[in-house]
Order: sequence, then C-alpha cells, then structure tokens
Amino acid sequence: MLPMARPAVSGALCVRPRLASCLPRANPIAALSTSSVKSATALERQSSTGQSLTASGKVRKEVPLPSQEKKEGAMQYVLTTLDQVTNWARQSSLWPMTFGLACCAVEMMHLSTPRYDQDRLGIIFRASPRQSDVMIVAGTLTNKMAPALRQVYDQMPDPRWVISMGSCANGGGYYHYSYSVVRGCDRIVPVDVYVPGCPPTSEALMYGIFQLQKKMRHTRITRMWYRR
Amino acid sequence: MSTILRTLRNLRRIGVKDFGHQMQNIGDTKAGTLIGVDRFGNKFYENMEEELPLRTRWVDYKVNWPEYNPDQIEPGWHAWISYMVDAPPTADKILQPGQRTWEIPEHRPNLTFTRAAFKTYSTTRPKYSAWTPVAAPR
Repeated sequence: MLPMARPAVSGALCVRPRLASCLPRANPIAALSTSSVKSATALERQSSTGQSLTASGKVRKEVPLPSQEKKEGAMQYVLTTLDQVTNWARQSSLWPMTFGLACCAVEMMHLSTPRYDQDRLGIIFRASPRQSDVMIVAGTLTNKMAPALRQVYDQMPDPRWVISMGSCANGGGYYHYSYSVVRGCDRIVPVDVYVPGCPPTSEALMYGIFQLQKKMRHTRITRMWYRR
Repeated sequence: MSTILRTLRNLRRIGVKDFGHQMQNIGDTKAGTLIGVDRFGNKFYENMEEELPLRTRWVDYKVNWPEYNPDQIEPGWHAWISYMVDAPPTADKILQPGQRTWEIPEHRPNLTFTRAAFKTYSTTRPKYSAWTPVAAPR
C-alpha cells in the first residue's frame, strides 16, 4: 500500500521537549538528596545580546521538523510523491548482503527463520554484493577481514546502506583491546544503523532494520536534487 | 492466517470504518474489547477467547502506517502487550506513569533519524590550546 498521504508525526517528536513542565514537580524525594538539582535548562546560557546559547556556546536556533515543513508550490508536491514512491520501493524490498562473521550471524539467521520471517518484509538474503543494497556486518571484524569487507562494500551498487550488528562490529566490543581486531566497522565503511547487544536478539536486529526503513522513508532524494 | 468468514464476521462486528482502518494499519481484522489508551494516544485491545495465542492483545497506534513504531508504546503498556504482566496498567498502579520522581512528564519515542536525535558532545575542557605561530622574518 502506498502512503499517499504521509501522516504527520505527532507533536511528541518536537525538537524541544516540554522540560519546563517537569520543574514544578520537585518532589520530596529530591529534597532529601544532597546533590544539587541540575536540570537541562540550567545549562542554557544567555549571550550578551540576550539570545539563548547552546551548551557549546553557539546561538540557539529553532529548526522545524521535516514533518512540520510546509510544501511550497506544485513542484514540491510532485517531488514529494516521487520520493514517496521511490522510498516505498526501497524500503519494502531490502536485500541484505550477509556479512556474517561470528555468533551475531546466528541471530541474523534466526531473523530469516519462520519465527521472525524476514521474507514477509521483503528482506531476502543475497550471496552477492552486486545484487544487494544493505550490508549487515554481523560479528567481530578482524584486521585480516577488513580489506575484504571494504571490497564487498565497494562492489555494492548505490544506494547502499550498512547495518552494524553487535558490540564487536559497533566498536570492537569484547575484543576492543585485541591486536588483531578492528575497533568498530565504521572505521572501514560508513554505518547507518548500529544495533547494540552481544549478540543482539533477532528482535533487536529487526528493530534496527525498521529504523533503517525509517531513514529510507525520510530520505528526500529528488527534493534535495531540486533544491540544489 | 485469516479466513474469509472470519474477516466478514469481524467486519460485521467492528463496522466499515474500523475495517478500513485496520486493513490499512494491521492488515487484518480483529474485534475485541478496548482495555485502555496510553498517554501517547495508542489504543490497546484484547480478545482472549477467539484469537490465537500471542495474538490476543494488540495495539491500534495513534500514528498511521507506516510511521507507527513500537517505541511509541509506553513502558507499562509495553509490558502488558508483550505478555510480561497479566493486568493492564489501568489496573496495576506500579505500571502507571508518573509514579517515580525521575520520570519525564511525557512519553518520548525513539528519536533516532529525526532532527531531535541525540548527538554526543563534549563537556570537558580541552587538554591543550593551539597557538598561532609567528614566522620570524628572514
């Protein structure tokens, strides 16, 4: 089904959460604590001209969410629909290149078995990088495997995404201080989604795939091209 | 999965409007009792008699397809819909929001890949300061 009218993401996704409303809830428990209250608003500083500053000292800038941006003109409507069609096609036939390196690969296999049944999401494992658009790096990436990983990534056609699965692929994990392990596969390839866990459950990997689909869905392909 | 008779039976029970809504969002027709609504606006249903095991509880998300996400479900309701507890948060006080001092006042879903996503920043003072080199004239 095509999302013809993209539903507006509700107001809870606003950039600035309503922090001020939690301040009057100073509870008696908090009064017992000896440490002073450090709310996030206490970090907000004021510049000499009265503008509020961020924690890094830059002038605070309010940015509308993508869902709050208004479409202007017929061209924007056409391009938005084009983007929606393309993104729908991309997110609903996700062909991963399986880069199973260690025990995370077992959880990745569980995703394809009938309990989680990735085929219903249009996810079909491909054995060749030339036919796939997502690479799931599952497991410890060693120094010896790193050139092969990069080569496989380079062989994938655009558009391509990478899911880093498990602590070993995220940042070395248990083998972070080993002499032979790459400390995170993002040193080799650009990573879109990091799935934490050692190993992550199949649900966690599936949630990571959902997050990647969310990223694809909000990619503004032709709109960015038109803006340039 | 679903038979035509079951679909028609549930269509007769829930009406045409909810039928279209459920086919758009769940891809199935289900009839049950409304157990509760969380602060985000998701509606939670249950039908213990007719549905298969692990399909007896379901959620009607506030946000429509495809933008709904399980992280929009509040923690107490998540426990209920994942069959961790028997009683819904409306009946169990310990599962209700607002009981603990450290809770944020509203439910905040996962903001990954939105502009409100968390970005790391350093709060420590830099350990060295750069200088501007002055080249002596030759």
